[in-house]
Amino acid sequence: MEHAAEHHAAPVGKTFVLGRFESGEALVDACYKVREKGFEAIDTHSPYPLHGGDEALGLGRSRVPRIALTGGLTGMFGGYLMMVYMNGLNWPLNVGGRPPHAPPSFIPITFETTVLLASLSIFFGLLALMRLPQPYHAVFESEEFRSAVNDGFWLSVCLPSGSDGKDATALLSQLGAREVSTVKESVE
Amino acid sequence: MAAEHAAAAVAADPLDSAPLLVGKQDNTTLTGNLLAHVWARPDKGWLLSFLIALSGSGALVLAITVTLAEGIGAWGNNIPVGWAFDITNFVWWIGIGHAGTLISAILFLFQQRWRTAINRFSEAMTIFAVMCAGLFPLLHTGRPWFAYFMFPYPSTLEMWPQFKSPLIWDVFAVSTYFTVSLLFWYLGLIPDLASLRDASKSPIQRKIYGIFALGWRGSGRHWHNYKVGYLLLAGLSTPLVLSVHTIVSFDFAVSLIPGWHTTIFPPYFVAGAVFSGFAMVMSWMVPARHFLGLKHVITMRHLENMNKIILATGMLVGYGYLMEHFIAWYSGNQFEWFVFFNRATGPYRGVYFLMLFCNVLTPQIFWFKKARTSIPIMFIASIFVNIGMWCERFVIIVTSLHRDFLPASWDMYYPTWVDITLFLGTIGFFSTLFLLFLKFIPAVAVSEVKELNEELQHRTAPVTVVTGA
Repeated sequence: MEHAAEHHAAPVGKTFVLGRFESGEALVDACYKVREKGFEAIDTHSPYPLHGGDEALGLGRSRVPRIALTGGLTGMFGGYLMMVYMNGLNWPLNVGGRPPHAPPSFIPITFETTVLLASLSIFFGLLALMRLPQPYHAVFESEEFRSAVNDGFWLSVCLPSGSDGKDATALLSQLGAREVSTVKESVE
Repeated sequence: MAAEHAAAAVAADPLDSAPLLVGKQDNTTLTGNLLAHVWARPDKGWLLSFLIALSGSGALVLAITVTLAEGIGAWGNNIPVGWAFDITNFVWWIGIGHAGTLISAILFLFQQRWRTAINRFSEAMTIFAVMCAGLFPLLHTGRPWFAYFMFPYPSTLEMWPQFKSPLIWDVFAVSTYFTVSLLFWYLGLIPDLASLRDASKSPIQRKIYGIFALGWRGSGRHWHNYKVGYLLLAGLSTPLVLSVHTIVSFDFAVSLIPGWHTTIFPPYFVAGAVFSGFAMVMSWMVPARHFLGLKHVITMRHLENMNKIILATGMLVGYGYLMEHFIAWYSGNQFEWFVFFNRATGPYRGVYFLMLFCNVLTPQIFWFKKARTSIPIMFIASIFVNIGMWCERFVIIVTSLHRDFLPASWDMYYPTWVDITLFLGTIGFFSTLFLLFLKFIPAVAVSEVKELNEELQHRTAPVTVVTGA
């Protein structure tokens, strides 16, 4: 939902205004101010998670825990019922006179399938939420922006269609951003 | 709160031996010096070690080929010693992996800041150790090309796996452990791969690291979900790591063999796993931090803390030995008592006393701060612990089996050259993978260290104000 504006607004080549800030705090402060001016499709880019960054972007609770719970429950019931079906119903197996449906013996594998499916759903759920792998993104058009994963603190503003970006550029400069630039998504 | 105070006191407290980060660092210097070893050309030392490790891997291929061509008969296993080097090596390698998950997950949940510089390193060790471990039961099935029979899939055999067997529990435990460790490691690696991508000078490196970085751009919207996902994976890995060695110990404890059939096995195995794992991390970290120039992020504080854990888990293992013997005597069961008596006086007593020396006596040296902070002492002690823990698994497995219920069926186990080559080969294979890891991937979690650096700088400020007032 948060991505809606960024990803579906413009049918052709989106335009981003980028600005680099001195520190994480400066970026978080600027993020609040840019949002107050009505820009919603904004994002921060930093080498590590920013303190207070989620609130500054106005993000709600992450959906990852629910995805993990769903995966975990699927693994738990799926694992247990699989064993009940295979060893208890479809081919009852008598080992040392133990009952075909032997709950204590089924606990270890139930635990493992719970963890396995929860972990797989976290990992792939995360990739889906983050829309990664994404080989190309307009922000990489700027060579300076490559500092974002090393030592730069960047703000990106996705312009609404029809905007020339002058207001966003002026706002970022006014907030103390350096290396303010505009990048256009290349459409092939 | 306690953790915050501890971190705040890093710079000020005279009782602290060493800081977590040496020198005044910022994001730019950390990017430079933590990635430096990836950009540097491999030096002679690395090439020589790699060559030796690669020959070890070659020996492994040879030993596997002989095993597959000739069958399990190429090994020294016999009746009654049906499990020997293979399962000893399996348990040893799996145990070594456990330190990685403990450092990356359990210490993460406890917010132990000293974990940050060493987690990447030990997680990599986990993955490689589990790869080596998995090889042994696979080969021991005799016909590994049918190993997929152990997975529940609908087949024309119309048979399902026997889920009441601990050996099948093991299949699920080890494969889950490997998968989850790999996902956790890779997830933590994504920001650093992006860092490599964007710090690289050559277009080829940029392209290759770019593929693995998946297009990561440090987005705040990504971090938002990423942090939660990482925390949850740590939360899941924590019970997982305990369950894996518990289930490995069930392979023994659920059987009826005297010496194996004991309820203390699960906690005792987990403690031993952490013990041997930390020792292995130490054995690699001491040279790696020297040669990769990482002494400013992997400081004496990290090494000392690890030595304290080695001491604590060593004591737990010692307690395990004590209880095992006490219960064997207290049970009044003559077979149970005989097994333990035989361990100390039988033909394998040398291995038994080596185990006691390495696992119980050696770690005691870490009561002394001088030993805890001495590089040569900790390195040698860690090698001893590695040897001792291998001996422990050998003692548990072979001495319990070789003199079973009927004296007429007693026999000795001696390893063949294939057994020994297979074991040494896995050490070579492990080293090969590890050296490649150290060459191509940052050995320290760069993004996490930067975050830690930021936190430390922020948290020290208020303390100086308080002490000043």
